[in-house]
Amino acid sequence: MTDSSRTVPGTDAPRTAASPPPGRTPGQSSPPVLRRRRMSRRARRDALVFLAFAAPNLVLIAMFTYRPLILNIQYSMLDWTLGSRTATFIGLDNYIEFFTSDAGLESLRITAIFTLFTVGGAMVLGLLIAVALNIDVPGRGLARSAVFAPYVLSGVGVGLVWLFIFDPNFGVLGWILRQVGLDSPEWFLDPDMSLIMVIVVYVWKNLGYCAIVYLGGLQSLSQDVMQAAQLDGAGAVRRFVSIALPLLSPTTFFLLITTTLNSLQAFDLLRIMTPTGRGTNTMIFESYLQAFGGYSRAGYSATISVLLFVILIVMTVAQILFVERKVHYS
Amino acid sequence: MTSSLHIPRGLSRRSLIGLGAAGAGALGLAACGGPEVGGGGGDGGGGAEDLDLDFSGVEPATKIDFWSSHPGGSQDVEKELLGAFTEETGVEVNLVTAGSNYEEIAQKFQTAQAANSGLPAVVVLSDVWWFRYFINGNIIPVDTLVEQLEIDLSDYRDSLVADYQYDDKQWALPYGRSTPLFYFNKDHFSAAGLPDRAPETWEEFEEWAPELTEAETPYMYPDLAGYAGWTLQNVLWGEGAAWSDEWEITCNTPEAVEVMQWVQDSVFSDGWAQVASSDSADAFAAGVCSATIASTGSLVGVLESSSFDVGVGFLPGGSVEGPVCPTGGAGLGIPAAISKEEQLAGAMLIEFMGRPESTVAFSAATGYMPVRKSADLTELTEETPQIQTAVDQLDQTRPQDFARVFLPGADQEMAKAIAAIATAEGDVQEAMDGLKETLEGIYTKEIEPKLP
Repeated sequence: MTDSSRTVPGTDAPRTAASPPPGRTPGQSSPPVLRRRRMSRRARRDALVFLAFAAPNLVLIAMFTYRPLILNIQYSMLDWTLGSRTATFIGLDNYIEFFTSDAGLESLRITAIFTLFTVGGAMVLGLLIAVALNIDVPGRGLARSAVFAPYVLSGVGVGLVWLFIFDPNFGVLGWILRQVGLDSPEWFLDPDMSLIMVIVVYVWKNLGYCAIVYLGGLQSLSQDVMQAAQLDGAGAVRRFVSIALPLLSPTTFFLLITTTLNSLQAFDLLRIMTPTGRGTNTMIFESYLQAFGGYSRAGYSATISVLLFVILIVMTVAQILFVERKVHYS
Repeated sequence: MTSSLHIPRGLSRRSLIGLGAAGAGALGLAACGGPEVGGGGGDGGGGAEDLDLDFSGVEPATKIDFWSSHPGGSQDVEKELLGAFTEETGVEVNLVTAGSNYEEIAQKFQTAQAANSGLPAVVVLSDVWWFRYFINGNIIPVDTLVEQLEIDLSDYRDSLVADYQYDDKQWALPYGRSTPLFYFNKDHFSAAGLPDRAPETWEEFEEWAPELTEAETPYMYPDLAGYAGWTLQNVLWGEGAAWSDEWEITCNTPEAVEVMQWVQDSVFSDGWAQVASSDSADAFAAGVCSATIASTGSLVGVLESSSFDVGVGFLPGGSVEGPVCPTGGAGLGIPAAISKEEQLAGAMLIEFMGRPESTVAFSAATGYMPVRKSADLTELTEETPQIQTAVDQLDQTRPQDFARVFLPGADQEMAKAIAAIATAEGDVQEAMDGLKETLEGIYTKEIEPKLP
């Protein structure tokens, strides 16, 4: 369709230079064609600027995010041994295997436990620490830095240090337990203890993040409201539970989403502390183990990645749809 | 439409076309790379018959990459050897740390295969990985290169060179080769009034164990992540059992179940053994146990870090006569998807690293075994006499069970079964039945359709 054939809204008459748009009578200044040309030039310039800034990022995102995503979905329907140049299309067999095999369901169970306890642990402890750090006492700045420091440390380094701490033979934890007549749990041999071990370390590493974000939330609370409640006779616990916590709900909501996403993608600590994945093979770790842990099952590994991607999307959307309703933004 | 950019309709159309083009591009990109999808099961024996393996008239590349995990802490000695190789041949070698162990180097090698780029001329490949590379067509047989470079295979130790033979072809040559060794704390043995030697059988050690009270435990099984399936072949073979008889999985035969029950009893009801939670060689060197089994590749490290007199001996046998020691460690292979010039230069490097004087230098630095019969061990054994035990034990070695070395993921599955038996005190028969079913599934799905 050419410009000259466009119709004037509300009429069947074609819009031309001789039939101006509604509201403008013939003979007025700024003829429509000329005006449209000026808008066109400006729009083109804006579009070029937009493209100049956005195109490199869009290309990179397409190459390194969407392309792998599309390829991963394709690979998830293949029986493909990593390293082999050929593969067989097997449809949804990998998905069926994941949901019907003991190993797949076990990985799902471990993922749920790990996520629940790491998110819950880091948020609850982070909130309590934030409350403590919010008290105006000397050395508060140093304490804040100390609490936040583990979050910025390398997961590999943290894992190695904690391996020494937990080692039943050489570790300081085992030594302390022996001093009080107890044996060290088999942190590396008992799958249940291995899971507890990585949860403890993961919470330790990440609670500083929750604490600092909660601290920011606490410091932005309106003191007028808190003082009014105090004048009304509300005690410290009542003020915290009935006023501070509801007012912190945007912070809690933000942390719930970010820490859940991070926990579902936790890998470095798990890989370093429990290389075999016994008891700690969350979905992302299981995906790694299937591809690179000796099995070389690239197709099945891709399937687990796709499922994890779907779970991440569903959980995020569910949180936005249902949890956000309970958030008080003011 | 409310847009601060005032995009006109004409541009929107072009944008639409642009987006369409971008989408098509993305789909095009998605179509590139990855495997060729077909209905077949794979390459069928590595596709060696399709390779051009005639290297006559080929000039070696002047610069190549060598991917190593530096087994046994060999980075320094590898650099020295590569320097000597460059001086002799003019071929420059870039030594790449491609991982810290065999699994990590395999991960990098397989990823490079998928990307079809960045492959080295020579790669370190372990006992459990080379067959997978062969099945996938990732490495070439070296027979023609061996002939062209006049490499004397008969001077290599027979059992070590035979480990890389399949389908009447030689797929790699030995490099950092090892066997398990029985390590014992001579001080603890002396304090217990025991002979200054390794036990000849497990039955004998079982009798000795109650006397060994100096350490936390008399004996420590290697940790599950550290190739438990490798070392336990010794106990299985001693009683006439095995993980498999070629491709037939035999891990749940009455003999095998009895052996694994004995392993469980040694930990729980008899209590003279534990399973290491990390490297058992480290636990042994720290004096946590009086004896353990670990690789010869750990020998130099154990000798350096121990504060006591370390004894080594052959692996104990069982009630059945015959060799009870598996070989292990790594060889060197040549990737298929590189130029013939690089392959030839890679073969020259393998020839150099396998020379008697090179293998002695490598052994002196690591404790891995010299792989050549003609290697002069005088200086080596004067400095580290324990290495002689490892060399002597080679005559008692036996090729590993197919199930462990040729089935992808079998080592991990064996470790799971052993964990259920030796750490969780699970039902032995059930664990071994489950292992058999899993291993048979891997063979049927991953190996059988691809065998030549």
